Amino acid sequence: MPVILIISILAFLLLSLLPGDPAMIIAGDQASPAAIEQVRRQLGLDRSFLEQLGIWLFNLARGNFGSSLILNQSVLSAVGERLPVTLSLAALSIGFTIPVGVFLGSLAAYFRRTWIDSAVMTVALLGVSIPAFWIAILGVILFSVQLGWVPSSGFAPISQGVGRWFASMALPALILSLFQIGFLARMTRSAMLDVLSQDYIRTARAKGLSEWRTVGKHALRNALILIITATGILLSAAIGGSVIIEQVFALPGIGRMVVQAIMARDYPLVQGTMLILGFTFVMINLIVDILYTLADPRVRHD
Amino acid sequence: MKQKLARRGVAVALALVLGVSFGAAAAQTPKKGGTLVYASVSGPGTLDPYMASSVVELEVINNIFEGLVTLDNVNATKPMLASKATASADFKTYSFELRKGVKFHNGQEMTSADVKASFERYKRISPNAKNLDAVDHFDTPDPYSFVIVLKEPNVVLLDVIKSPIYPLMILPASQKDKPARDIEVIGTGPYKLGEWVKDSHLVITRFDDYTADTSSPGRDGYAGRKTVYLDAVRYRFMPEITTRIAALQNGEAQLISSVPPDLSAKITERKDLAIREVFPTLGSYIIVNSQKGLTANVLIRQAIAAAINVDEIIEGAGGLNKRNPWMSFPGTPYFLGDTAPTPWYDIKNPAKAKELLKQAGYKGEKIIIETNSNYQWMRDTMLIVAEQLKAAGMTVDVQVTDWTTNASHMQQGTGDWNLSTTAFGPDHILGPQQWRPMLYTFPHITGNDIIDKAYAEFFQGQTLEARRASWLTIQKEVLGGGYLVKIADTGRLSGYSKSLQGQNDYAGILQLWDLWLN
Repeated sequence: MPVILIISILAFLLLSLLPGDPAMIIAGDQASPAAIEQVRRQLGLDRSFLEQLGIWLFNLARGNFGSSLILNQSVLSAVGERLPVTLSLAALSIGFTIPVGVFLGSLAAYFRRTWIDSAVMTVALLGVSIPAFWIAILGVILFSVQLGWVPSSGFAPISQGVGRWFASMALPALILSLFQIGFLARMTRSAMLDVLSQDYIRTARAKGLSEWRTVGKHALRNALILIITATGILLSAAIGGSVIIEQVFALPGIGRMVVQAIMARDYPLVQGTMLILGFTFVMINLIVDILYTLADPRVRHD
Repeated sequence: MKQKLARRGVAVALALVLGVSFGAAAAQTPKKGGTLVYASVSGPGTLDPYMASSVVELEVINNIFEGLVTLDNVNATKPMLASKATASADFKTYSFELRKGVKFHNGQEMTSADVKASFERYKRISPNAKNLDAVDHFDTPDPYSFVIVLKEPNVVLLDVIKSPIYPLMILPASQKDKPARDIEVIGTGPYKLGEWVKDSHLVITRFDDYTADTSSPGRDGYAGRKTVYLDAVRYRFMPEITTRIAALQNGEAQLISSVPPDLSAKITERKDLAIREVFPTLGSYIIVNSQKGLTANVLIRQAIAAAINVDEIIEGAGGLNKRNPWMSFPGTPYFLGDTAPTPWYDIKNPAKAKELLKQAGYKGEKIIIETNSNYQWMRDTMLIVAEQLKAAGMTVDVQVTDWTTNASHMQQGTGDWNLSTTAFGPDHILGPQQWRPMLYTFPHITGNDIIDKAYAEFFQGQTLEARRASWLTIQKEVLGGGYLVKIADTGRLSGYSKSLQGQNDYAGILQLWDLWLN
């Protein structure tokens, strides 16, 4: 709860520091000073800073996140409409990331200092280094224009069929997961290297367990804590990274909405969305903590 | 044998000629049906016409709503929902006869009650409402007559109410008390609103009960007889230009907006795609803050204007530009062309600038240029301007912020800046009355008696010639006094599939009537 309160005050403060007058932007380029003043009064921007903060917190306490100035709808419904897009993107990219990243990382650790290790680490380095917007544009040109496998952009809700939904999300999710795969592969490799040199792995091998069981069960299970931590970070990063991906692929998600809201100085929308995203990140951390207890019995006993 | 071959050759040639001409004829025959997909940069924030000033909003609004009068093919005033518009001899009473049988999208017939309610709502909520300040009252003598009675004469009232931004479209009377941005989207236009998913897409469909203006032979700017061949138009909002081009290339869209000139080859290299030049749409200017420090001095402002080399800016900043020293587009009623010299334009004389600086007692104080990171042409323009000013001996500090802040500073005169840049659109079409608030806002002109007097004369001028003379005085003072420095008229490029037929040369905002898909 204190964390949420701090986030809510920060969300308010950060925006108030931004230059630019929302009343002028809402009123439009050709508005007279009187018209701008009228808009300012309507938005409550003529009140003192503390008054505005007080109203903001009071409304939040009643579950009122405010209304967007540019969308003419409540912040909650605006976020609710766009959440399926951003969640689809984040979930699908994490769905690509975890199996591929963990597999590649384990492979590199198992074959350390061989060409396989070098190849995987080079790919991982490229994944974390290449800017997402550039690879996204190349992806559109290759998969959409040249090969015609997927549409260039746009979102098809799952209600229009799983096939159409997957076709619309596959490329954006894949591009978003490239960075994450690189990151997770490096983390997994590092964790696995540590585990593979432990005595109990030597013991497992000595008692005649197969390599598959040794690595897949004993080593990977012990490296899992680090992998869960990395996944939690990645999920938060995926929601953040969706800003660029949603822009390039014209996906009507939260990231794109926030960018437009910031440009239009739509204070309630940016503040409300920041708060909801902050709350989401807190929840992700909570889930990660719970997963620790499942992955590592020692955490439970502590 | 030779004869046979020759005959066959003639036959082939004839067939080719006929084939081509038949093909051309077939291509010219409008075909009904189909959905046009138009990929634009972003979606509208509102479809309330009285609050709409951005292109993405007007691109939808112009196809759904209509006004009493509007702009024709040469940007002159032409009746649209009115069949006739007349002013009294003293320009204090304007009478409109309405076209009969015009239906709203909800099936109701449009009458003078709807027109009156629309004007009243416009007066109440539109940021442009000051243009109706002189209205005393509205009369509706019968269902097809509407009268505006003014408190004082206004010779340009029709020009004001044909404005393409914050357009005064006619809505049903039921919308009269609706707050700003909160109307039901019901117009009389050739399309009606279908589905609208914010940030994703918007669909408009053909309004089958549309009542075309049969007094016109065909389309005429925003006016005339509008025929809709398409079943629907789907606007898709794609902020990234590469994605828009990809959508055009793979056939997902047949029309895309805002193609930068350096990427146009990606479209023209394909035989089935083409580029359309829409020109002119804006005029670009250096804005000089006449209320701030150094640039409050007219000599310093004139020195800045003297240092500017327009061709260097056009070449360096890119885009579609043409030189024009005036604040009106060629072909519009207030364009003065060669009727007067334009000594303020493209002076490119650093020596003269230095001389003016000397007279002003300039001692190397810093001139602050503010620009933004959102619009590359603005940033590039101001970087070139900075170099030109340095070459004329000025000390310059370039500060880059975001567009929202930059625009806010320019409009309100806040922030710490002497020079900035922006582009103006409809002012160049509509003329001096539309320019007036801009001049008192952007360069923040205050206490200039010459401009104030010329504007007073302008609004009294009963002939176009008299008003053009006032406009010349105003431009001489604004541009000659270095409040604004004109750079060029600019246009934009759109990309389209050749299967989309019927586009014309009129440089207005997206018009989706008289277009068809082959």
